[in-house]
Amino acid sequence: MSDRTRAARIIAKKQVFEALIGPGFYVALAVGLLLGYFLVSAFARSVDSSGFNPRLHPLYDAIGRALEGAFGTAFVDGLFAEGPLPFAFAVSYLPVFLYLAVSSVFKFGLERNAGAVELVVYGPADGTSYLIACYLKDLFLSLLALVVILGFTLAAAGIFNDFAGPALFLTAVVAFFLSLALLAYGMFASMVTANAASSLALFLGIVLFFLIVLFGSFAIVGEYVRSLSTVVGNVVQWISPFYYGNLSLQANAAGDPLGLLAGLALLVCLSGAILAASHFIMQARGVRP
Amino acid sequence: MIQTRALVKRYGTFTAVDGIDLHVRAGEIYGFLGPNGAGKTSTIMMLLGITRPTSGDVLLFGERYTSRRVHLRRRIGVVPEKHPRGVWPWMTAEDYLRFFAELFDVPRPQERIEALLKKVDLHTVRNTRIREFSRGMLQKLSFTRAILHDPDVLLLDEPISGLDPLGIQQVRDLIVSENREGRSIVISSHQLSEMERICHRVAIISRGRLLTEDTMEHLVARLFHEREIQVEVEQVPPGLAPLLEKLPSVLGCAVHENTLVITVPRQGDYRKPISEFLISRGLVPLRIQERMVSLEEAFVTITQENIGSLVNGGDRR
Amino acid sequence: MSAVRRAASVILFLEVLLPACAQAPVRMENLVYSALAFNGRTFSPTFAREASDAIYLIAGVDSFLTVRKTFVYFWPITGEWKTDTDTLDVPLEGTLEVTDGKGRTLPIVSTRYTYYNEKGEYELNWKVAQGAEADRIWARWSERLDAYQAAARDYRDKAARVGQERSSLLARIEVLRGQGKDVAALVDRLSGLRDPEPPRPPQDYVVPPAEIQEAFILNLPRGSYSLRLRNPDGSIMEGSHKTLVVHEKRRSSGIGYEVIPGDKWTRPVQSPTPSSVLYVDGSSDLYLRPYLEDEYNDLFYAKTIRNDDRGNPNLMTWERIQQVPGASIQLSANGAAVEVIREQPWFVEQLQGATLGYKIVPYDPQGGQKDQEPSLIAVRIPLDARSSVVRLSALDSAGRPLAGSERQIRVVSRPPAEAVLPLLALMPVVVLLTVIIFRSSKYKRS
Repeated sequence: MSDRTRAARIIAKKQVFEALIGPGFYVALAVGLLLGYFLVSAFARSVDSSGFNPRLHPLYDAIGRALEGAFGTAFVDGLFAEGPLPFAFAVSYLPVFLYLAVSSVFKFGLERNAGAVELVVYGPADGTSYLIACYLKDLFLSLLALVVILGFTLAAAGIFNDFAGPALFLTAVVAFFLSLALLAYGMFASMVTANAASSLALFLGIVLFFLIVLFGSFAIVGEYVRSLSTVVGNVVQWISPFYYGNLSLQANAAGDPLGLLAGLALLVCLSGAILAASHFIMQARGVRP
Repeated sequence: MIQTRALVKRYGTFTAVDGIDLHVRAGEIYGFLGPNGAGKTSTIMMLLGITRPTSGDVLLFGERYTSRRVHLRRRIGVVPEKHPRGVWPWMTAEDYLRFFAELFDVPRPQERIEALLKKVDLHTVRNTRIREFSRGMLQKLSFTRAILHDPDVLLLDEPISGLDPLGIQQVRDLIVSENREGRSIVISSHQLSEMERICHRVAIISRGRLLTEDTMEHLVARLFHEREIQVEVEQVPPGLAPLLEKLPSVLGCAVHENTLVITVPRQGDYRKPISEFLISRGLVPLRIQERMVSLEEAFVTITQENIGSLVNGGDRR
Repeated sequence: MSAVRRAASVILFLEVLLPACAQAPVRMENLVYSALAFNGRTFSPTFAREASDAIYLIAGVDSFLTVRKTFVYFWPITGEWKTDTDTLDVPLEGTLEVTDGKGRTLPIVSTRYTYYNEKGEYELNWKVAQGAEADRIWARWSERLDAYQAAARDYRDKAARVGQERSSLLARIEVLRGQGKDVAALVDRLSGLRDPEPPRPPQDYVVPPAEIQEAFILNLPRGSYSLRLRNPDGSIMEGSHKTLVVHEKRRSSGIGYEVIPGDKWTRPVQSPTPSSVLYVDGSSDLYLRPYLEDEYNDLFYAKTIRNDDRGNPNLMTWERIQQVPGASIQLSANGAAVEVIREQPWFVEQLQGATLGYKIVPYDPQGGQKDQEPSLIAVRIPLDARSSVVRLSALDSAGRPLAGSERQIRVVSRPPAEAVLPLLALMPVVVLLTVIIFRSSKYKRS
């Protein structure tokens, strides 16, 4: 094992421990699980003799109207085709992912400005070790959260007799691979900017921008907005994690397993490219604030 | 141990370090002095590989150093000026040292940590969170971290800054003690009085240029050709100073209350003829003391621009 | 005047005034492409006004376009654009030029046509006839229709005569009975009266041939084209430029289900997505009707049906095409043996007396439902709240499994054990508290 990877492993271990003795991860996870519970429970109350009817429960009525208005009936039908679990799973994961990404971006900026990164770099580590360590920590915690949420979802499936099928597991897999790329963008934002607040603003700006482009081309909007989003999307899609995630899902819907795997592989490549860019920026800027 | 050759660092059009040649020898305590903005920190950052030199070389232990040569960094311990206090608030002293012990792959880490904590008198607070440590305790902890992996060289940046007199003494004792065990120590500091007491050699840098690198004795000898002898008597009779100035060895004489400040050449011992003269005048010298030129005086002298060029031909080994 | 009467006067006044203040929709004269587009199951009319981005047609099938000047207006109640051909309807003549992406132009002239759906094993046997063939088919249909209508008139006359005679005999029998006379002969005559057989309409067609029309008939491969109308004098009709999007199904022969709950039989729902799960509460049996479906682009298909409709261009949707004839469904439930249930006719029987509601019973044409048509033809899936998972798939009339027809029916439960879930959700907080307590005690010990 090289010095860099060894140092990254040790630093990552410390950071994982630090996250697991702090309240943030647990609170975010609990919030996510509670949201998932509400969605699964409300679904059970939205079912009558003919099937799932969102109008029977105010929560699903609101969700159904909002999603139908934005993405159309076909989207809602597809989303709930296997039941509530894929949607509930994704919603459960969202608070945890946001917490991990935001706290990681913010924390790296704080640690660099305080000189903690420099302190570690005095030893047999370098800035890239620290970068990799932060990323590994986020990946590990994301994976842990996904496993916990999946377990909880399966428990809910058993209690409510919901179907835990391919769509649920696909959602978990795509969520993980999407996290790879989005967390890499978090690291990139930390490298490019000078302080924690700027890093956070840049990261959130990047994610929001990609979401808006996806939304504009995916949603049912006016022709002008869609055309504009499509033009912008054609330029930025190559660096957008949501583009590759959407490719995977579309390929799966079309019954194309190779397309699905290709989308996931491209997410890995994108993550690698972003981390490589972060490494070079770190090398150029150094670890001093 | 540590050597630089024509080391240069530029930030855009600004030259922070302008062709520095340093040489830290094995087993010595080396003081690295300079006013604020002189380029000390930039030089240290290049020594540690934190920043890359614009040109020039850094040699560590005879090898040309780049940031990839991690095995060289393992032989250096660093005590930075500020401990990153606000981050890692959950860590105890023992957690902190254990982390770095693992990073440096220290053999038998628990024993080593125990021994060092006892040495620096922190073993009673090993399970106290470092956020509750005082400045002095943090400095000792930082020092412990730096020597955890038994480095050959210790690099200290302002090690006694912000410490009380007891803290200063403790740190000084630690530095001397580590040096006695064979470690070379490089200290960057403004506390010239302390540097004077412990450094074997000092280097003075100003505006990115190395002005001198020498022992204290040689430095003072090159800069100052005179010295002062202070003689305390019961009462100084009027007219005594001009008479003293007539002595062949006396270059000047001033009176401060009941003390005569007599300026004599650097070489030679003039206490006996001065004592004999005073006794011949019926005066009894109560105290005769030679005033040593301080490092602070030397520092101020050297860094004044119109003197800087005088030491260009000095010893820079 | 009292306050109440004053208020009533105001309300009445407003009731008269407000409708007069309501604005009539603004009508705009437009050059409109009217399309009778085949949507996979039938021909449906739509139109593209000047402001619409494109016309959408399905590839490889005949669709019919005409160009006209008419008024268009937006009807807010249904949220759609409409034409007012009653006020203005000027068909435009000329040659339709269709240019593909490579610049090749296909001129299309207006052609007489008819279309019809013949009866067969499957619902859809659409045919289009053009020119002389169309005339011939229409003429033949018209003859048969005329013959049927003549037979219907003849039937009505005969039925009226029989009815008259029956009434007359009844009256005479009553009079003679009153007079104490023998009426046996008259009674014999009465019982010998037979109502005439009503004529049967022509049975060959599901949809009979449409009246001959003239239009530009388009049958194009997938792609994007541009349209314009060249006038008879050779000039291009201003405003006739339009994009034409010809799309095709991505997949076909999917199987969807029409789901008819036993307690809401007039409100069926669709289950179009393959491998989807039907969640029900188990309070009623289900009646399933499998149908064939094709997969289209959501936006393109929606606009083929109605040009100003909305849809998602990035999603595909399964569209019902036609019923699977003679289908049956294969079941397995809770690991039990496979059962095959055939499609059969059912009758909805209203409950008698003060009781509201109905029950669905097997259709018995010889018994209680004589002279009545079945209410529905479907496969009945018995369910109750104890059923947990029913796995099913469809078989065709020959008993062969239909690919993509697998479904699950899950009866959603809401057991008391549900209360465990929010507690489970809070487990991370419990872990956190444990960590905090453990670390606090560690620091206290030191």
